[in-house]
Amino acid sequence: MSHLLDKLRYFQAQREPFAEGHGVTTDEDRQWERGYRQRWQHDKIVRSTHGVNCTGSCSWKIYVKNGLVTWETQQTDYPRTRPDLPNHEPRGCPRGASYSWYIYSANRLKYPKVRQSLMKLWRQARQEHTDPVRAWASIVEDPAKAKSYKSRRGLGGFVRAHWDEVNEIIAASNVYTAKTYGPDRINGFSPIPAMSMVSYAAGSRYLSLIGGNCLSFYDWYCDLPPASPQVWGEQTDVPESADWYNSSYIICWGSNVPQTRTPDAHFLTEVRYKGTKVISITPDYSEVAKLTDQWLAPRQGTDAALAMAFGHVILKEFYVDSQSEYFTNYVKRYTDMPNLVILDEEGGRLQQGRFLRAADLVDNLGEEANPDWKTIAINSDDQRLVSPNGSIGYRWGRPEGQTGRWNLENRDGLTGDEVNLQLSLKGNSDDVVDVAFPYFGCKEHDYGYFQHTEHTEVQMRKVPAKRVKLADGRDVLVATVYDLTLANYGVDNGLDDSNCAQSFDDDKPYTPKWQERITGVKPEHVIRVAREFARTADKTHGRSMIIVGAGMNHWFNMDMNYRGLINMLMMCGCVGQSGGGWAHYVGQEKLRPQTGWQPLAFGLDWQRPPRQMNGTSFFYAHSDQWRYEKLNMSDLVSPLAKKEKWQSSILDYNTRAERMGWLPSAPQLATNPLKLAEAAKAAGKDIKDYVREQLVNGELKFACEDPDAPQNFPRNMFIWRSNLLGSSGKGHEYMLRHFLGTKHGLMNKDLGETGEAKPEDVTWRDEAPEGKVDLWVTLDFRMSTTCLYSDIVLPTATWYEKNDMNTSDMHPFIHPLTEAIDPVWESRSDWDIFKGIAKKFSELTNGHLGVEQDVVTTPIMHDSPGEMAQPYGVKAWWKGECEAVPGVTMPNINVVERDYPNTYHRFTSLGPLMDKLGNGGKGINWDTKEEVEFLGKLNRVHHEEGANKGRPRIESAIDACEVILSLAPETNGHVAVKAWDALGKITGRDHKHLALPKEEEKIRFRDIVAQPRKIISSPTWSGLEDEHVSYNAGYTNVHELIPWRTITGRQQFYQDHEWMLDFGEQHCLYKPPVNLKTVEPILNQRSNGNKELVLNWITPHQKWGIHSTYSDNLLMQTLSRGGPIVWLSEKDAKAAGIEDNDWIDVFNVNGAIACRAVVSQRVPEGMSMMYHAQERIINTPGSNLTKTRGGIHNSVTRAVMKPTHMIGGYAQQAYGFNYYGTVGCNRDEFVIVRKMDKVDWLEEDEQTTDSLAK
Amino acid sequence: MKSLRVISLLMEYPTAELMEARGELKALVARMNLKGKQRDGLLAFVEQRTEGDLMDWQSEYDALFERGRSLSLLLFEHVHGESRDRGQAMVDLMNQYQQAGLAIDANELPDYLPLYLEFLSTQGPDNARAGLQEVEHILGLLAARLKERESNYAALFEALLHWCGDRVNIEQIREQVAGEARDDTPEALDKVWEEEAVTFGPDAQADGCNVQYRPDSGQRRDQEQILNLMDPQPVQKHQEA
Repeated sequence: MSHLLDKLRYFQAQREPFAEGHGVTTDEDRQWERGYRQRWQHDKIVRSTHGVNCTGSCSWKIYVKNGLVTWETQQTDYPRTRPDLPNHEPRGCPRGASYSWYIYSANRLKYPKVRQSLMKLWRQARQEHTDPVRAWASIVEDPAKAKSYKSRRGLGGFVRAHWDEVNEIIAASNVYTAKTYGPDRINGFSPIPAMSMVSYAAGSRYLSLIGGNCLSFYDWYCDLPPASPQVWGEQTDVPESADWYNSSYIICWGSNVPQTRTPDAHFLTEVRYKGTKVISITPDYSEVAKLTDQWLAPRQGTDAALAMAFGHVILKEFYVDSQSEYFTNYVKRYTDMPNLVILDEEGGRLQQGRFLRAADLVDNLGEEANPDWKTIAINSDDQRLVSPNGSIGYRWGRPEGQTGRWNLENRDGLTGDEVNLQLSLKGNSDDVVDVAFPYFGCKEHDYGYFQHTEHTEVQMRKVPAKRVKLADGRDVLVATVYDLTLANYGVDNGLDDSNCAQSFDDDKPYTPKWQERITGVKPEHVIRVAREFARTADKTHGRSMIIVGAGMNHWFNMDMNYRGLINMLMMCGCVGQSGGGWAHYVGQEKLRPQTGWQPLAFGLDWQRPPRQMNGTSFFYAHSDQWRYEKLNMSDLVSPLAKKEKWQSSILDYNTRAERMGWLPSAPQLATNPLKLAEAAKAAGKDIKDYVREQLVNGELKFACEDPDAPQNFPRNMFIWRSNLLGSSGKGHEYMLRHFLGTKHGLMNKDLGETGEAKPEDVTWRDEAPEGKVDLWVTLDFRMSTTCLYSDIVLPTATWYEKNDMNTSDMHPFIHPLTEAIDPVWESRSDWDIFKGIAKKFSELTNGHLGVEQDVVTTPIMHDSPGEMAQPYGVKAWWKGECEAVPGVTMPNINVVERDYPNTYHRFTSLGPLMDKLGNGGKGINWDTKEEVEFLGKLNRVHHEEGANKGRPRIESAIDACEVILSLAPETNGHVAVKAWDALGKITGRDHKHLALPKEEEKIRFRDIVAQPRKIISSPTWSGLEDEHVSYNAGYTNVHELIPWRTITGRQQFYQDHEWMLDFGEQHCLYKPPVNLKTVEPILNQRSNGNKELVLNWITPHQKWGIHSTYSDNLLMQTLSRGGPIVWLSEKDAKAAGIEDNDWIDVFNVNGAIACRAVVSQRVPEGMSMMYHAQERIINTPGSNLTKTRGGIHNSVTRAVMKPTHMIGGYAQQAYGFNYYGTVGCNRDEFVIVRKMDKVDWLEEDEQTTDSLAK
Repeated sequence: MKSLRVISLLMEYPTAELMEARGELKALVARMNLKGKQRDGLLAFVEQRTEGDLMDWQSEYDALFERGRSLSLLLFEHVHGESRDRGQAMVDLMNQYQQAGLAIDANELPDYLPLYLEFLSTQGPDNARAGLQEVEHILGLLAARLKERESNYAALFEALLHWCGDRVNIEQIREQVAGEARDDTPEALDKVWEEEAVTFGPDAQADGCNVQYRPDSGQRRDQEQILNLMDPQPVQKHQEA
């Protein structure tokens, strides 16, 4: 049809022109405009963020209309930085921008749910028992009933329940477990409090009040670099991303900045306009590789070799051939380089031993306090042995009222005289001796993938030494860490050492030439980058920086990778300087108001100490991964160590560490800790003495000696803010089998089945327990893998439906999550959920639990005077090698009074210990009465009669936020001044000036709702929040002369604990990846006719999700490939006949994955890569091997622990929650990859885990 | 339109109360304006469901409607998916309720189907029919998917479609659903993310992004027919008429 009839022929619309025909008045219908107007209309904008485990911590505007969230956009109102520094905003990325979908998604959890089989049992039991606790007992005490619901885990079948009902089941289970087995059989896991700290605190407060264990996460995720505690005595402290802009030379080492640090990447781009050179070091052609000026591609897992060669060049050119004044002064004052190390004679060879201490010397060198913990150096002016102040011996044990001298002034700790410490003994030595250095680079790799060199496993190198007479009359040789470091790096300091390199072209450990064989990087590139890095640092006084990605920390020998680059930074004086230092931004996210949060989170306001457990050891022991342990420590220790010491199983060393007070335990004792008070009373003894005696005479055991005994099972498990089973559970299939007792894909045989040697100190039970956990409760807003395996699923409020707070290490702001809308459907905030459970728990204690004495053991803690516990060697009290002294040679034994019926009252109020004991952190303490009084006025106090009458209220999540903000020095200027003052009493220096200008600044919840607020400088952290410098770690150590919290008080190149020496890690060196032995038993055993490849297994952070969050979102899936994928190199794919997008099997004895192949030039040969973390709930077919749905990236992994991470009671190597402990490394793993025969979607079978794919 | 309320009730999460109302429900269904086959289907549904075990019914309901998108009872899940338009669409729908003098008094979203049905039941037969017709494609889709899964829940949707005037051919949709649009069959699951790497070169145009490897229209939300739920006009108009 033409347009013939479209136009009127006789009429035109009535018009009334004005403004000379430029305007026209009509009465036409303008409804059509509505579409445009409404499109961006909204009732309000609410500030919130995404509390996902991401360092971004971006503030967002949430648009709300009619009580519905319509969309979100980035906030643009951050406080400005300062002239000549780019601003932080806009912050945000496509992942966050797609979040509002979750709220109304079909996948949203809307109602509390219970597994049908359990619900049936429960309702039946409740009809028979009026007491819910007895009802619970009737289910779990009947093995057939217990098995009937445990074996259904992961197999679907949920029914809705009311909050009252689920709270009752949970509370009944908790009461029953605490009463029957002990409260330390109740556990909770939640990661990264910084992302939503009140939500974390909700669960941990409840657990801590009832005596349950909170499990650590940073170490379990393997993002905790143990090198940081080792070198600095600091968990992790890093520069904010804005400080990249102050840098003059940046190496992005294993950190894929544009992909994984999206909102901060602009600083890295911007600084290049100033001329800063940026180098990337990644094994694959990653996004960051494309961004930088030069890309070095060492083979994955060999970074330490590259770092050693960099160090070799720096030492040679800036210390030996010519000297940088800046570097020399820096290492003298801020590192242990001048400290003296004893050279032990062993088997006719000199070996590096421990630090010389004042106590070794005649009359303790005049030192009265803590001579065992004062390290020694030589004053170059008079060649006198001195004990420089700053070592840990000066930190503790200061007489009351006396100001301390724990600082980094160049002074003799005894006399206070100025000293000039001697770096090298060359020229002043009594002798130049040959010292044995272990060498690990000669170990042949089992699959021939990692290259080795032919050098011998012991390298003899010349070191100038001095003879010192000890108090016991012995003469020993000592050398400085500096001289030992040169020798270790193979740098000849003019001693004509034929075993050291004379040129960079010598193929001797650790020259640039030497590393080529191992890493594949050309020597000239190594020399050039090292030279540029150091020269820049020399000229700019430390403005060279390394941004490091935690992938390098996920190797068994992660400490070597990290210490390798930390050494470079220390050599070049970069740590603690603006624009310099290490930048490791993974997994801790810096809970800035930490000290204000801790009392809330761990119930320290009511009772101390809380139960805190290191996650890795917990999961390793209780999911029975140790039953399959094939890795021998004797294969891994130093060629100089006594191998017979290292014949036991990994778990043996962990249990020893627990018994020596090094690591915590969960459960703690092999009996109910609530029953010990009564037993002690019956025996007429003090509880602590009684427990100690019982342990010594063997009547009482530690639970860790028999983790498979039913008494020691982790009976109850809470998971919140985490997808433990779907994302970070190393040894996933082991967890399914032993924790949950359900269908699993494990193909491994345990030591009983293979008839290999069992652990020595741990009871072996032939029948492996399955289904150790009685009740598994998960809180989430979406149906995650962990939810699918849970007994009870509780719907939480999303990040737009709750009030909470968020901080990050990437920027200095604290900002909120706020309740844009009420939680939809039946969901509730984490705070309200745990409050509800606490209330029900209190009710159900009636007739079961009253006021109880709970015996709590705690390890020797870092940043407490106790950390000076075991100065010399490793001694087992149970073998009679030393006396059993709680807190010194064994764990502390504490008695905590729990008022179980008042759990709810305690949960909802701030307890009296804050007034009595004050608050503090990292070894300093301050009074906090004023803040408590203030909180009573702000939050009001409880008026009703009861256990919390007169105490400040913590009813709502906002009340909880105010508690944190008021108590924390970072958000309350007055507290900051008190904290700096308290630190000044220990250092003998006045630090108050750092906070005085902000003394009256007090940040409250409504303030951060208005705008993100910059935090206030506090001694909890080693950097400053200042108008003149960007936050940088170690800044106050360098500029305020506050010692590092190590044995020497300095940054340590050298580690002298006995186990460190045994593992040859006194110095940094190169150690090749280890063979985890998971491939051989199954390679070519279950062939499907396709060629099987053996590839290294790498699991980096992804682009289309933050861990598992967002990865189930269709927008992100469309950008990715929409299902599980594994990246392969073109060459490997060709060899195995795999084409892009083919279905492949990826497996080893730990489990199997079914996924698609992405064949890409990006990936080097021998590597396979699966992004962390793709859910198994979407588009995952069955594995042809396990006949169950293909697993997640952790299905082919298993945690392996390293004894050096178990060390405790030794200054910086003492336990702290998320500070030190075993870590769950997984990158040494190899997998078998082959083309899949046929894709089986398991349509007919009962579905494991997912109805979603269905 | 009491019938719509009955369907709405049956479409909700099953409760003990519902089981007890068995006799009443059967009587109501018997009186409904339905043809033989549809009435039989609905009667069979009521009978079979209310006779069985409640918890089995509940867990089956949970597995059907509470997991995954394909059988979501939230209408806009099928229209807008995770697009940003969804928020505004819900706001508009809420306005529609408000204009009718009704406010949502439950913890539910405005596009929740049982809620929508209850709303329609208050709007007189003509409006109700118009309202149903607006979502008939979704109803058809859900009916077809339920049939594919051999779930007798399909009976509820068939009844609704009958009241729409039987304009939707379920069998036809079912063929589509079975053939290409289902997101729970292995083939469809495959296809949803079958996408080839871009290749460069002279034949890039031809081979580079071969469309046959792209998600087919059934999986693409951007091409899904946009139902006119955003505009409250149709119902109003009928009221005037």
